[in-house]
Amino acid sequence: MSSKRFDQARPFLSLGIIVLAWLLLPVGVKSFLRVTFFELQAPVQVTASYVRDLQEFWADRSHSKDELIEAAHQLRHAYAGYEFQAQQAEAQQAEIARLEGLLRLPSNPKYRFEPARVCRRDLSGWWQQLTIRKGSNYDLTVGAPVVYSGGVVGRVREVRLYEADVDLVSSPRLRLAATFENDTRPVSYQGGNNPPLAPARGIVEFVPPDIVAYSSTPLRLVTSGLGEFPPGLTIGYVQRLETSPDGLFQSGEVSLDRRLTELTEVTVLVQLPPD
Amino acid sequence: MYRRWLIVFAASLLLWSIVCQVNHYLAPYGAYLSVGGLLVTFAALRLNLRNGLTATILIALAVDSLEPVPAVANHLIFGPHLLLFATAHVLIFHLRNRFPREETLFGLGTALLANLAIFPGLSFLYVELAAPPASGTASLRLLADLGWSQLFILIAAPWFFSLQERALELAHVELAEEDNRFY
Repeated sequence: MSSKRFDQARPFLSLGIIVLAWLLLPVGVKSFLRVTFFELQAPVQVTASYVRDLQEFWADRSHSKDELIEAAHQLRHAYAGYEFQAQQAEAQQAEIARLEGLLRLPSNPKYRFEPARVCRRDLSGWWQQLTIRKGSNYDLTVGAPVVYSGGVVGRVREVRLYEADVDLVSSPRLRLAATFENDTRPVSYQGGNNPPLAPARGIVEFVPPDIVAYSSTPLRLVTSGLGEFPPGLTIGYVQRLETSPDGLFQSGEVSLDRRLTELTEVTVLVQLPPD
Repeated sequence: MYRRWLIVFAASLLLWSIVCQVNHYLAPYGAYLSVGGLLVTFAALRLNLRNGLTATILIALAVDSLEPVPAVANHLIFGPHLLLFATAHVLIFHLRNRFPREETLFGLGTALLANLAIFPGLSFLYVELAAPPASGTASLRLLADLGWSQLFILIAAPWFFSLQERALELAHVELAEEDNRFY
C-alpha cells in the first residue's frame, strides 16, 4: 500500500528535485547549457535562412531583361542622388570636425556599418526579436544599435560566435531616449502594445504638454543621441497625444514602419574606438 | 539499446524547427504560434517517467535557448520553458492511467489542454512580471496567438503523434511494453 503511494508521489518528487537542481545550478552552467542547445539548433536555422536566400536568387533570375534594364535605370538615378548627398555629408563631417577642434569638444562616436542577413524572425506578444547571421566573428557587441533604411530596427541583446539576437524596437523589453523632430527635449520611448494581425506599435511618454500631434500631420519621433544610438534616426510617427493622469506630461502611441516585420537585411552599427 | 528519449526528443526538435520557420513567415501578419503543450504530450502519455521526462527537459532547454531570458526585478529567470514543461509533463503523467492514453483523440485533447495551461504561464512570466503593465491590446494579441496555436495543434497533433510512434517502431521500441513500465 505504502509502496503504491510512493509510486504515485514519485513523479512529483522527481519534479521537485529537477526544479530544486535547476534553481541551485550556477548561472555559468545555465548559460553554458543555453549556448549548447542554441548551437545544436543553429545549423537548422542558418540552413533555412540560406535556402530562403537561394529562393530569392531564383526568383530574381526569373525577371525578364527589360525589367532588369528598367531597374538598372532607376538605380542609376538613385545612385546619382546619393552620390551628391554623400559629398554633402562628407563636407558637413569635415565642418563638424573643424568646429569640434576649434571649440575643443569631445567628438561624436564613429561607427562601422556591418550589414547582416536576418536568419529568424520571432515576433510574439511576449517578445519581438530577430536573429542575424553575424556574431562575435564580426566584432558585434551587446547593445550595438541596429538600423535599416527606415530607421531604427533595435538593439543587439545577445551575441554568439556566428549569430546575434536583436531586440526589435517594437519589443516591450526595449526602451530608448527619443526626441521629436525639430525639438531637443528628450522623451521616453518603449516598445509594446502589439496588436494581432496589424503592424507593431510603441509608446511615447513624458512628452511636454506644448507638443501637439494631429493624425493629418503626424510627428516624427527620432533617436535623441543619448545612449548607444546616433541622433536623428527615425523610430516612428506619433498621431495623437493624451495628457497623462498626473497632468504634467503627455503620452501616446507610436506607429512603427510596416517593413520592420518583413526585414531580410539590417545594418549593425559597431562603435569604433575614439581616435 | 535504443534510446527512447532520444527518438522522441529528435521528433520534438523537428516539430520545433518547423514551428520556428512558420513563425518566421507569420511575423509580418502579427501572428505567432506557441506549441509547448504538443511538445510535452506524447512523452508524458506514452513513455515511462525517466525517458519521458528526459525528452521533455531536453526539448524545453532547446526552446529556452532560442527565446529571451525574462528578467524580473533585474534577476534573470533562466529556463521558464523547462519549469513549465516539466510541471505539465508530471501532471499529465500522474493522471494518464485514468484515461485511454493510447488514443490519438485523447492525446489531441491533452495537448490542447496542456498548451492552454503553459501559454498563460509564459504570459505571466514574460508580460506580467518582466514587461511594463499589459494593456488591452497586449492581452488581445496574446489571446489571438493562443487561438492560432490551438488551431495549429488541432491540425498538427495527429501527424506529430504518428511520427513519434512510427519513429519508435522503426527503432524497434515496443510502446505496449513501455506503457507497462513506470520508470
